[in-house]
Amino acid sequence: MSLLVTRRMTDHPTDSHTLTRYEATGGYVQARRSVGMTRDDLVETVKTSGLLGRGGAAFSTGMKWSFLAPARPAYLVVNGDESEPGTFKDRQLLERDPHQMIEGIIITSIANEAHHAFIYIRGEYPKPARRVQKAVEEAYAAGYLGKGIFGSDFDLEVTVHLGAGAYICGEETALINSLEGRRGEPRLKPPYFPAAKGLYMKPTIVNNVETMANIPHILAMGIDDYRELGHEEDTGTFMFSVSGHVKKPGNYELAHGMTWRELIYEVAGGIRDDRELKTWIPGGASAPWFVPKEHLDLPITKADTGKAGSMLGSGAVVVMDDTTCVVRAAERIVRFFAHESCGQCTPCREGTTWLEMILRRIEAGQGRMIDLDLMLDVSDNISVGLGWPPKQTTICPLGPSAVSPIISIAKYFRDEILDHTENGGCPQLRKPVHVSIGGSA
Amino acid sequence: MSIWPEATQERARTIIARYPEARSAVMPLLYLAMREDGWLTEEGMTEVAQWTGLTPAQVQAVASFYTMYKRERTGKYLVSVCTSISCMLLGGDDVLHAVEDESGVPHGETDDEGLLSVEHAECIGACGGAPAVQVNYELIEGVTPEKGRALVDWLRKALPESVNGDEMQQLFGGPTSFDWAIEESDAALGPYPAFGPLGTVEEKR
Amino acid sequence: MSEQLVTITVDGKEMQVKPGELLIKAAQDNGVYIPRFCWHPRMNPVGMCRMCLVEIETPRGPMMVTACTNPVNDGLVVDTQNDTVKKAQEGILEFLLANHPLDCPVCDRGGECPLQDQTMSYGPGESRFVEEKRHFEKPIPISDLVLLDRERCILCARCTRFSEEVSGDPLIEFTARGNTTHIATFPDLPFSSYFSGNTVQICPVGALTATAYRFRARPWDLTAIESTCMHCVAGDRMTIQASQNEVLRFLGFDSEATNHGWLSDKCRFGFEYINSEDRITTPLIRQGDGHRTASWAEALSLVAERLSSIRQAASPDAIGAIGGARGTNEDAYALSKFMRTVIGTNNVDAQLDDGLEPQFLAATASRARIGDLDRAKTILVWGPDLKEEHPTLYLRVRRASQELGATLIVVHPRATGLDDRAAHVLRYRPGSGAELLSDLKSPDGSHPAVARAFAEGPVVALVGRTGYGEDPRLPEAVAAWVRTFNGASILPLARRSNVFGALDMGLAPNLLPGRVSVTATDSFGEAWGETPSTPGRSTAQMLDGSMKALILVGSDPAADVPGAARAKEALASAEFVVSIDLFRTASNATADVIFPADGFAEKEGTVTNIEGRVQKVNAITTGHGQSRPDWSILEDLAARMGQPLGFDSAQAIAKEISTVAPAYAGVTWDLLDWEERDGVVVPYGDAIQPLSYLPADTPGAIVKGSLVLHSARTMYDDGVLMRNGLSLHKLAPGASLHVHPDDASRLGLNGQATITAGDVTATLPVVRDDSLARGTVYVPFNQPGGPSLGSELLVEVAPV
Ligand SMILES: Cc1cc2nc3c(=O)[nH]c(=O)nc-3n(C[C@H](O)[C@H](O)[C@H](O)COP(=O)(O)O)c2cc1C
Ligand code: SF4
Ligand code: FES
Repeated sequence: MSLLVTRRMTDHPTDSHTLTRYEATGGYVQARRSVGMTRDDLVETVKTSGLLGRGGAAFSTGMKWSFLAPARPAYLVVNGDESEPGTFKDRQLLERDPHQMIEGIIITSIANEAHHAFIYIRGEYPKPARRVQKAVEEAYAAGYLGKGIFGSDFDLEVTVHLGAGAYICGEETALINSLEGRRGEPRLKPPYFPAAKGLYMKPTIVNNVETMANIPHILAMGIDDYRELGHEEDTGTFMFSVSGHVKKPGNYELAHGMTWRELIYEVAGGIRDDRELKTWIPGGASAPWFVPKEHLDLPITKADTGKAGSMLGSGAVVVMDDTTCVVRAAERIVRFFAHESCGQCTPCREGTTWLEMILRRIEAGQGRMIDLDLMLDVSDNISVGLGWPPKQTTICPLGPSAVSPIISIAKYFRDEILDHTENGGCPQLRKPVHVSIGGSA
Repeated sequence: MSIWPEATQERARTIIARYPEARSAVMPLLYLAMREDGWLTEEGMTEVAQWTGLTPAQVQAVASFYTMYKRERTGKYLVSVCTSISCMLLGGDDVLHAVEDESGVPHGETDDEGLLSVEHAECIGACGGAPAVQVNYELIEGVTPEKGRALVDWLRKALPESVNGDEMQQLFGGPTSFDWAIEESDAALGPYPAFGPLGTVEEKR
Repeated sequence: MSEQLVTITVDGKEMQVKPGELLIKAAQDNGVYIPRFCWHPRMNPVGMCRMCLVEIETPRGPMMVTACTNPVNDGLVVDTQNDTVKKAQEGILEFLLANHPLDCPVCDRGGECPLQDQTMSYGPGESRFVEEKRHFEKPIPISDLVLLDRERCILCARCTRFSEEVSGDPLIEFTARGNTTHIATFPDLPFSSYFSGNTVQICPVGALTATAYRFRARPWDLTAIESTCMHCVAGDRMTIQASQNEVLRFLGFDSEATNHGWLSDKCRFGFEYINSEDRITTPLIRQGDGHRTASWAEALSLVAERLSSIRQAASPDAIGAIGGARGTNEDAYALSKFMRTVIGTNNVDAQLDDGLEPQFLAATASRARIGDLDRAKTILVWGPDLKEEHPTLYLRVRRASQELGATLIVVHPRATGLDDRAAHVLRYRPGSGAELLSDLKSPDGSHPAVARAFAEGPVVALVGRTGYGEDPRLPEAVAAWVRTFNGASILPLARRSNVFGALDMGLAPNLLPGRVSVTATDSFGEAWGETPSTPGRSTAQMLDGSMKALILVGSDPAADVPGAARAKEALASAEFVVSIDLFRTASNATADVIFPADGFAEKEGTVTNIEGRVQKVNAITTGHGQSRPDWSILEDLAARMGQPLGFDSAQAIAKEISTVAPAYAGVTWDLLDWEERDGVVVPYGDAIQPLSYLPADTPGAIVKGSLVLHSARTMYDDGVLMRNGLSLHKLAPGASLHVHPDDASRLGLNGQATITAGDVTATLPVVRDDSLARGTVYVPFNQPGGPSLGSELLVEVAPV
């Protein structure tokens, strides 16, 4: 199948990150072209391309651009905070083909009349950040960034900003706060929709790294071919980060439409030691889990996954085989969200930690029969009705994310939980779980 | 006024110039402060407050929000072992125990010499190469408990001025999330990320 | 102004509300209370506690939103109490209580705690949280006045928002993240805000407590009454709480017209003097170097007899009264009437020479209201540092510039509390203000940007003397200039509690009650019969040594004003001195008779604030010892001098004011107690104010010298009431000499230096202050152990 965003790094592994190689393979042609184009043309093109954001929310990129409020200056913020457990695709795009993203940034800035773009890269990604910084400097030197890009009268400054260890800064309004030098706490919507009141209270577009990487290709191959490549309304290609108990973990750029069976057993080579597949997370730690008997032959599309009560999210597929203790797996994911909660709103701050404590007790053999129902009710106070998509009592979706593993194990592995409580803890784990609380606070 | 050497002050000015508003420079400046003192001291935060026109309390509010700003004494080598879901599934916890045991430093703490700090980290984006470890945020993928012990031993004996990802990957790593392919010449100095604009990068010898 | 209303439906009940208003407010104004912790009507919503969750109908079905962040629009349908909402509210309370300690019995908030109350009405039965609670070190002092208990904190961000949005000193902030988030100050950097007490008042739990009130009482033992603060001139509304006839606590009371519920720490904690051991409890008569106690009868007769004889022997004009600004309007009116009708002189002055022309203060044309600040496009502050001398006005101006987008211009000899908000900060040397003014006036002046700002009306100017050396004519000239811009209005600044009321009651050499000039007695009417029509003497003139008898009414000219030394002599040389006061002071140490007066919270009456707003002050405790209100002391003196004033109660005086004093026509206690709880600005209704004063455009002298003195007040100083209120007195910054670094090096100053101003010389610690205009030195006024420099401008400074 034909690759888009990972094509160059596949064909030219050792120098796909350089300006020379990038230009030798058709780089910056589209950016140069778009300098002459109008906002309306570009927005329309991206809208009809059907491109959906790759950051997790899968919202139409063209639509988002069209919402940009008229006030100026406008800003572009590229979200490279990639921190959703299981996700590592942006890391590869940043590290191996930074110019591809930069070209996307130039086109997007023109489309949204932004003269300053920020690339927010998570602090734990210094290597990708260095590659991007060098690429940005190359682009400045070549006159593709800075004053009057490509000899036009369009100015574009690009600043690479390093995060400092906070998953919540991936949430677009938290990211904006962080970029303003504040605590990375999500803002209230309403009134702080980035397209209207974003960075410095100015209209702001926030897009994911992979989303940016797609933009030049849409212009290069044209809307029809781009749509053609994909599967129905899931146009173009999509990067899946496959990890866990598979033989061939890694990033795979694919079109939607194949089944989970194909992805796990063919693309990713099947389960290690040919063991049994027990369960998998279809779209990052925030997503409710899938199980073989119900979902293995479900086609991988936004719609089918949604109908089945989960999401493709950031494209992170975490596979667990039959040796996995699901209580421990759930504890580890809930611990993550508790640790990453910004602490603003009561249900998330108190609820996620509470759930973590209960899971840890159960795993350590101090569970009580009422704990399962208690967990579900506490979860219900964070995500009302435990439905999908969540009906949150919180400011942002992080709180409800912590609920996904709970409802998943309660739904599919009830007996395993009860076995933990009745028989003194984790059967597979003869030493007590490692109960460690992270953070430097 | 400033307690920073002129070179650092010049860096601070350059960084502030990259943003429409000075306050946006708080995060990079906090890294500069860490570079000056080895970790984030009260003096450092007060200095950043002066550069950005905030009160020290406001700077502390920001700094304490992010896990990478270490407000306690931290070693020259910060070893972060990922124990999030994907790494946990493939033995991340065992790697952490091995590192703790070999170094005698429990997670979240630093040895007396101020050489080694050990912490368990939440997902560091290396799930395809689990279990993963970082030293001063330079990544090593596919680490086993044995390699974890060897890493600690190497840091203590070789005492590298700075750490290079490729080198450590060759010595202590295994399968990676994807082909690293490109040779990495940059190396990291301290318990903070190695990034050009921060002046925290060293050329690999 | 009148806005289109929209219709929303809350719990099936239709309401007409302002579009865009927050649901929580709209519902509350229409009788539906939605529980909340973090939301505060005077601060921006943060939606953090989530207690106010409600369900609204959307095209995609019912949705949960926080009422405190959700603006209303037409047709909005809300359910605030269905089972889903109830469950969510129970859930939130359970979350909040999970880590909340169970120490209510020993918590100051116990009994008046929103968390306690809402748990009763919306909470779950008992907690299912069996895990280990979050632990922090129990209460830690974060300033001299405030303690923080992080275990009780529910992270509502009220204190942090207050210090960032309202008072502008963000010294208390969230620290850490997620479940470990807590409130903290920076190490060794206390929460030293002039407004810290407000955070204690708005904290919804007992996390922030005041050292002054801690463990003093339980809410259910307290009696309370509404009143008006008499510390500063803004007329801030407050609730006074007492127990067993002792005042224990002041709380801010939200008045749209004045303080929005806020109080400065000086006003909030400054009441301790009321219960001071050192209060005078009986009349005192001079005996040798000291005083002996006496009966009221003996003291009153003595004073009546001496005043009468001096009046006979010399003349009515040999007698004068200084003060009266600390009392109520009723007290002031009585003093004014006593001096004019019984003594027969206009020698009365409520200002101690540190003020402005009385007619300018009381009756300037185009006088502004505090509320005008909310609508102002441009605000000029050319006067005292508002943060130091007019704290709640400072908050209103800050809000106008920070939240409402007004352009702020600050003119002062050194840094002021508002500089960080100011679009333009102009520095100048005291004595050269006239130059700066003419520069601003001239079309090609050196501040075009400022000139442009003034073109943007409406303009509100707060003008006053920046310091004691300032020529009192300068602020008037500034006012005269500002009036030339259209839609401009002026707020002349003077301090001293009820000085505006006192002036309105005629406690000025050239004013009669109700804003009448003494030279225009005809517009005053017959009520007082014949009164002298030539202006009397000002405080300075009364202290020139020529007076035979002086009556001090709650005033301390020998300490609290520039040129105190001169005042001391004058008091010593006078034949007879009477003092009506709460305390022994430098001025009444040698008085022949001292009468013990009632203090604040001990007497009922009215006061008038800076904008001319008349409000009630109320009594909650009886007087101290044998103390009595000023008016009744004066009534008895008058009677003994054969010419009773005719008052048997303060209310009777109020009645007479409302009929005799033109600008106060119709302003009765009934009006203020019932219809107009926030008071009324006089002239009220169809009352007319005879005097309309046009500020004179005579900027006054330009004084030049190598060093000029800027002497101005700080919030905490050595004033009588401060000195007798311990927790605040120790906060006074102390005496010091601020010098611009350049001047310091030029004169070789460091460590200590001597300053010579006129006949006073003092040695003070040197502080380098680069906010000063060069060639200016600053000495905070009336500091403990500090000198009393006169209003001299030219000074000499030398190293020690
Ligand atoms: C808790 C949380 C974490 C998120 N983390 C990321 C992230 O790491 N990277 C990212 O691109 N988007 C992340 N998002 C989504 C962003 O809010 C935003 O939707 C996205 O960056 C928009 O870009 P896109 O439209 O190109 O996908 C996160 C959202 C939430 C609620
Ligand atoms: S849900 Fe959690 S992360 Fe999101 S705003 Fe609330 S506390 Fe912060
Ligand atoms: S009052 Fe609405 S969230 Fe706190």
